[in-house]
Amino acid sequence: MDARVMCALATTGLLLAACGGGGPGETVTGITVVTWRPNSPGTWDRAIEMFEEANPDVRVELQTGPSSSTQLHDMLSQRLRNRDASVDVFVMDVVWPPEFAAAGWARPLDEAFGPEARGRFFEGTVEAVTWEGSVYGVPFFLDAGVLYYRTDLLSRYGLQPPETWGEMVRAADSVLLGEDDPSLYGYSAQMAQYEGLVCDMLELVGSAGGDLMQPGDEAAVRALRFARDSLVHLAGMTPPGILTYKEQESLELFASGGAVFHRNWPYAWALCADTAGSEIAGKVGISSLPSFPGGESVSALGGWSFGISAYSQHPEEAWRFVEHMTSPEVQRMFAVEVGKPPARRALYADSAVLAANPHFGPMEAVFEAAAPRPRSPLYPQISHRLQSFLHEAVGDPDSRIPRMAREAAADIAEILERAGG
Amino acid sequence: MRAALPMMLPAAVFLCGFLLFPVVSTMINSLYHDSPLTGREFCGLDNYRRLAGDDQALETVEFTFVFALSSVALEMVAGVLIALAISRVVLGRGPLRAVVILPWAVPTVVAAVMWKYIFNDQYGLLNYLVYGDSVAMYRAWLARPATARLAIIAADVWKASSFVALIALAGLQSVPQQLMEAARIDGAGPVRRFFHVTLPLIRPALLVALLFRVMDAFRVFDLVFVMTQGAPAGQTSVMQYFGYLKMFPEQQYGYGAAVSVVVFAIIAALSIVLVRTVGRRGLVE
Repeated sequence: MDARVMCALATTGLLLAACGGGGPGETVTGITVVTWRPNSPGTWDRAIEMFEEANPDVRVELQTGPSSSTQLHDMLSQRLRNRDASVDVFVMDVVWPPEFAAAGWARPLDEAFGPEARGRFFEGTVEAVTWEGSVYGVPFFLDAGVLYYRTDLLSRYGLQPPETWGEMVRAADSVLLGEDDPSLYGYSAQMAQYEGLVCDMLELVGSAGGDLMQPGDEAAVRALRFARDSLVHLAGMTPPGILTYKEQESLELFASGGAVFHRNWPYAWALCADTAGSEIAGKVGISSLPSFPGGESVSALGGWSFGISAYSQHPEEAWRFVEHMTSPEVQRMFAVEVGKPPARRALYADSAVLAANPHFGPMEAVFEAAAPRPRSPLYPQISHRLQSFLHEAVGDPDSRIPRMAREAAADIAEILERAGG
Repeated sequence: MRAALPMMLPAAVFLCGFLLFPVVSTMINSLYHDSPLTGREFCGLDNYRRLAGDDQALETVEFTFVFALSSVALEMVAGVLIALAISRVVLGRGPLRAVVILPWAVPTVVAAVMWKYIFNDQYGLLNYLVYGDSVAMYRAWLARPATARLAIIAADVWKASSFVALIALAGLQSVPQQLMEAARIDGAGPVRRFFHVTLPLIRPALLVALLFRVMDAFRVFDLVFVMTQGAPAGQTSVMQYFGYLKMFPEQQYGYGAAVSVVVFAIIAALSIVLVRTVGRRGLVE
C-alpha cells in the first residue's frame, strides 16, 4: 500500500522529498499537524501513539489552535498564505476546501485517495472535499443538524415527535400551556450572528423547498417569516437571548430542562445523556428535523476532513498520517469515545459504534442526505453577508424580508463577480 | 554635530521600523487588489471607491462615531466627578486611588468577557438587579440593537472613566489652595468655584485625557469582538472590526488595508485638531 501511494504521489509530482531516503528506523521525520483545540485530547493522543507505533520513522507534533472554526481559519490561512512549510497536515471545516484548493494551499490527493477509497465514505463528505474535479482532503467525521426532544414531556401530553415545523410549535404550545413554568421554553437553537445561524436557516429554508442563495424566492421568504414570527418572536417559544445563542448556550438551556425541542449536532446526544451535566438524562429523544408541509427535512452538513499543505516538505509521511486518522480503526475510536459520526459508511453497521451511539443507526439516512452550504472559494464573504441578512431578517420583528433578501442577493452576486480583491 | 547622528540612529531606526514602515506599507497595500484567490494587482483608488459605496461599511462608521462621542463625553464627566470626590478624601487616600485605577488596569478583553456575563439573558447580574427573581421578565440585552449599543458604551465608560479620573486628579493637585480660599472669601459657592477656578486650571490636563480617549475610542475593537461580534445584524460593528473581517476571515488584504487607512486618517485628523487646541491653551495659561 505504502509503495503504491508513494509512486502515486511521485507521479503526480507531489513528492519533493528524496524517495530513496531512509527506511523505517533509519531517520525520523517530524511532521506537524494543526488542529482545533480538542475536547478529547486523550483520544487524539492515543490515535497519534498508534500511528507512531506503526510508523517508527515519523514523529508527529500536534499543534492545537483555537476551538472556533472561524478563528482556526484565521490562523491557518495566515500561515498558508505565508507559505509556511512547517505545517504538514491540517484539519479543514466542511466549507473550507474550495478556498484552500483555489488558493493553492491544499495538495490535490486524486491518486492517493482514489475513486474506490472515496466510495467508502458518505457522498456528501467526499463532495465537500472536491473542487473542480480534484479531491483535496479525506473526510474525518461528519455532522448534520438533528432535532432533540423531551420524551417525558411529549408523552405526558400524548404528543408525537413533530413532522412539520408547525406541528413542533403547536406541540411546544401544548406543553408550555400544561406545564405553566416561566423558565420553560418551546425551542432552543443557534441564532447568534455567526456561522451556525447559516446552518440553522439553511435547514429551515431548505425544508420549505427554498435555497439560501436565492433568499428572495417565495419559499425562502416564507421560511424566514416563520422563523421570525413563530420561533424567535412568539412569546415563550424561544428564550429572549436566542439571538445571542451558539451551540453551547442553546444546549445548556436544553440540558438544564429549559426547552421542549432543541436543534443541534449529534455531539449533543452524549452530553444530554450524561447525568453529571444534564438534568434530562434518559428523557431525550432524537429525530430528523421537521419540514414545512410539502417539503422535505433538510439537515445542514458539517464536519471535518484532513488536508495536506501544498508547502509541506514531507508529503509522503503526511499522507500516511492522514490515511491513519481516517482509517476505520481511528474513526471507530472517535465514534466510540467522543461520539463523532464517522464519515465511513461501514461503521454504521459496527457493533462497537452502535453500542456507544444507538442513535447513529436511525440517523444514518439523515447523515447520508445532509445538505452542503454554498460551495465557493469566496464562502467566508458570502457567509458574512448571509449572517447579517439572516440575523436582521429573523431578529427584527418588523423586518422587511423580501427587500432585505434582494439586497443580500445583489451583494452576493457582486461578491462572486469581484471574485476576491 | 558628528556625534549627533550615531546618537540619533537607534531612535530613528525604532521610529522607522515600528511606526513609519507599518503605516506606509498599509497605505501601499490599500492600493492593490490582494487576495490568495486573485493574486496581487494594482488598482489605484478602487478599494476606497468600493468602501465609499459599501453600505455595511458606512453603518460601522456611523456606530463608531456614536460610540466614540457618547463614551468619551460620559467618561470625561464621570472621570472629573470621581477625581473631585477622591481629592476630598483624606483618610485612606492611597488604597482608594488604587481601587479607582483598577478598571483601567484590567485588560479590556477580560473586562469585555465580564460585561458579556453581566448582560447575559439567563444568569446576568443586570437582569437580577433589575428584575430580581421574575425570570420571565429577563431581557437579552445584547440581542437588541439599542441595548447592545448601550451595553458596549457602558463597558467602555466603566473602564476608561478611571483613566480620565487619574489625569484629572493630577490636575486637581496643581490647583493652588490660595486661589480656592480667595474665591471662598469673595463669597463664591462650590459650583461657582468649580466652574471659575478649578475647571480653567485643570483644563490642560483634561484636554490631554480627551486626546487619548478620542484616539482610543475610534480604534475600538476588543469590546465589540468579545461582546457582540457586531451583532445584532451588524448594528454594533465598528470600523476596526469591519476591517478585521475583510482582512482576516475574508482574506481581502487590500480592502482591509483601505479600511485601516481610513480609520488612521480619521484619528490623525481629530488628533491634530485636539493637539493644536491643547498647544494653544498651554501657551495662554
